[in-house]
Amino acid sequence: MTARLDRGLFWGLSLTALLLAGASRVEIIGRPRLDRIREEELLYYPSGFAVRQAAIGYEIAAADIAWLRGIQYYGEHRITDQKYALIGHVMDVVTTLDPAFVQPYVFGAFVMAQELKQPERGIELLERGIRANPENWKLWFEAGFLHYVCLHDIAGAARCFTLASRMPGHDPYVERFAAFANQRAGNTGMAILLWKQVLATGNEYMQDVARRELKRLGAL
Amino acid sequence: MRRVLAVSRNTVREAVRERLVLVLGLFGFALVIGSQALSPLALGEGRKVVIDFGLAGSMMLATLLSVFLGSSLLHKELERRTIYSILAKPIRREEFLLGKFLGLWLTTASLLVGMAGILASVVTVAYGDTPWSIFGAVGLSVIELGIVTAVVVLFSAFTTPALTAFFGISAVVVGHFAEDLRYFASKGAPLFVRALTEAVYWTLPHLSVFNARGLAVRGIEVEPERMLFALAYGALYIGGLLVFAGTVYRRREFR
Repeated sequence: MTARLDRGLFWGLSLTALLLAGASRVEIIGRPRLDRIREEELLYYPSGFAVRQAAIGYEIAAADIAWLRGIQYYGEHRITDQKYALIGHVMDVVTTLDPAFVQPYVFGAFVMAQELKQPERGIELLERGIRANPENWKLWFEAGFLHYVCLHDIAGAARCFTLASRMPGHDPYVERFAAFANQRAGNTGMAILLWKQVLATGNEYMQDVARRELKRLGAL
Repeated sequence: MRRVLAVSRNTVREAVRERLVLVLGLFGFALVIGSQALSPLALGEGRKVVIDFGLAGSMMLATLLSVFLGSSLLHKELERRTIYSILAKPIRREEFLLGKFLGLWLTTASLLVGMAGILASVVTVAYGDTPWSIFGAVGLSVIELGIVTAVVVLFSAFTTPALTAFFGISAVVVGHFAEDLRYFASKGAPLFVRALTEAVYWTLPHLSVFNARGLAVRGIEVEPERMLFALAYGALYIGGLLVFAGTVYRRREFR
């Protein structure tokens, strides 16, 4: 009985070791190809309109799946090549499926402005969000942020911050930024304040970027 | 009415005995709990993701249960020849059909409400606030389930289980397409096609009326007017389908 058990254990362990060795070999050989496939997979990511038609009443859940995929895409590239070319497309899919989902506008705009250095595209995405959610102060505030920090357009930023401060439910700090921007506060001082705000209220990834920027500006 | 209730009670009992209910119930439970695991990946939107997936998953499972249990509902009675002994009793075929409909609806609606309850508990424990708004959305979904169940009962009254399941699923898909169908037809289609589409549009169940899951996720309650409209529309549609199903079933010959 014991001998049979030992033999079973031996074969079981051998088989497990063989499987592990095989899996790691496949991982080593196939990784570059898998990465390419993953990239291609996103290239074929259907448009939000197509997914909306196929979702038959489950658009909101489909938007969540696309959102999780978008974050995964960002995370994968953040630890590898730092290329985020398709983030705009993914966020476009998410927001077409669920136009009232605010976070993808903010996150997508932030990545496009900070990582891709395309703040205009980021502001475009935020403007789309504002058209769908005209009373959302966060979208106006983020638009003001990008105008100020990335485009150095103080007048544009002041206009957005002021509008954000007039929207219902805004946080108290919004009025402070509206006042600063309207007084044409110094670029660096205001930028530091804005980044500190992101550090205090943004999500994990936004906080990372805020820390980096604050270090660059010598404020951390 | 007592006869109808007796049939519906038996239908619930029969459905609960089916392994499918248990499997789907467990799957739904796992889905609601499992969606909690996705929460950290959602970048601060965990609560939304959990509620979205929980509501969508529960409704999808309840719809599938309704279609697959319902498709063999009447066929099984015929196959086991129990239909002869039932109809030999003082019960009309329409009453038998109504009882079957009520029993199946009650089973699937209970599963849906149960899963919504689990979802609400999970969200309350994980995020510290109870998402009361989901119950309005679930109320609308229960009416939607009633329509799906009535469609399934209608088809099971005269066709095979496979075809009933096919038509049931088609009704769900097309029911969500009603608006799009009309929109596409309005874009330059010939007059005949437009008239036909219009007729189909008014005949199809408008299931989007019952979809308030997007509102529930944002904590917005379903307005009483919308609920009343959905209730009236659902009652009329279900009533119409059951009258039609009863007429067909009355004329059916059993061999």
